[in-house]
Amino acid sequence: MLSSIFRQMPLENSPVFCAFEHELVFESYGVRVRIEASDAVLLEEAERRARKALVDNVRRVDDVDTERSFGIASDVDGTLHLYKNGQAFTFDRDRQRFFRFFDSLLRIEVAEHAVGWVFIHAGVVASNGRAILIPGNSFSGKTTLVQELVRAGAEYYSDEYAVLDNAGLVHAFPRNLSVRYTEAGSIAERDIEVGSMGGKIGSSPIPVGLVVLTKFVEDAAWEPEVLSIGQGILETIPHTIPRIANAVHSLKVLNTAFCDAIILRSSRGDAARLAPTLLSFF
Amino acid sequence: MNTSQRPIARKAGLVIQEVPDEVLVYDLETNKAHCLNQSAAIIWRSCDGNNTVSDIAKLVGAQAGGKVTEDFVWLAIDQLSENRLLEKEITVNFEGRSRREALKKIGLATMVAVPVIASLVAPQSALAASSCACVSPGDCLAQTTCPSTTNCNGAGVCAP
Repeated sequence: MLSSIFRQMPLENSPVFCAFEHELVFESYGVRVRIEASDAVLLEEAERRARKALVDNVRRVDDVDTERSFGIASDVDGTLHLYKNGQAFTFDRDRQRFFRFFDSLLRIEVAEHAVGWVFIHAGVVASNGRAILIPGNSFSGKTTLVQELVRAGAEYYSDEYAVLDNAGLVHAFPRNLSVRYTEAGSIAERDIEVGSMGGKIGSSPIPVGLVVLTKFVEDAAWEPEVLSIGQGILETIPHTIPRIANAVHSLKVLNTAFCDAIILRSSRGDAARLAPTLLSFF
Repeated sequence: MNTSQRPIARKAGLVIQEVPDEVLVYDLETNKAHCLNQSAAIIWRSCDGNNTVSDIAKLVGAQAGGKVTEDFVWLAIDQLSENRLLEKEITVNFEGRSRREALKKIGLATMVAVPVIASLVAPQSALAASSCACVSPGDCLAQTTCPSTTNCNGAGVCAP
């Protein structure tokens, strides 16, 4: 069943009507998402991107009702238009940037509404069967620290999300490391495979051993303050994706996950110098 | 200070999670999270609309294992009220002293940990935890990997 053959596009510069003639529905972390596209090639690319975005935790399901949908359409001049839950969301002529953005939106949609899981915006590595969580916003230096921890021998779990199950165990979400760099005065991103750094990817669900609340500050000394469980959870709440969609479940899982963890807070300078210190905890 | 006041803890719109020695509260209306230490938590739980400040001071003393003054309770009520964790806002007057001065005096006079509420505001949207979230076009200037660096669209995203 095609749920939406014609959609009005309210955004300026959008074509008035567009047909979505191709679609699929998949389930990921308990969330069902419909993807519709104006042609088969776009749908195929969207599915490929969805699998990459959600580390292949994607299972096609029979056509079912779902309130979460993305629509992708191409107009005559090649501009791509993105719809979210039936509403025009954005458009872009740069195909690579468009799908990178779609990838990001899709991950957030699944992370926010996942059933039985709590996604925390965090970098994660493991050492001797214990997870080191580094919650933080974009541009806080998570990926750099994760990269150095992996170089120092930690197993890679994620540079994007700590995925916690109901028992508070951390599951791997091993996307390629997304490293930002400056090129001609602009910030760009490139993906780095963990294997290319000589790193190993973790696979077993593991308990949280250390939570590191940190942010890169040039030349800052690592002077950690030990936080209580409550303070640690408090500081992690802003990075907890489903805190609004399911606050009760999120707090309960955070409490379970952090109950035996060491929680440290400090600014940091050089990630390469800090990595061995963090690994020495286990 | 009016010692006959009987504060009532707010419950509606809050998610409460007990953690060892602390209580976490998430306010769904304001997206504000609070961490109450043990003293603040005992006082908050005692705000049932029946207990006066004097009653609460006795309850805290019994549970925390040390004598506490009414000022000690007022210090917590001041913070609870400021953070909208009481049904009705209560203005506390520390008899001409600032909260800081009151805190210093109370801290020196008791062996029980002074009531402390740590709070922070969480972003309203999950998107804000990621890149490309914006409130105004200025937020997009540095977000060069987003669909737009100059426009913050109606969905709060740096995109056309």
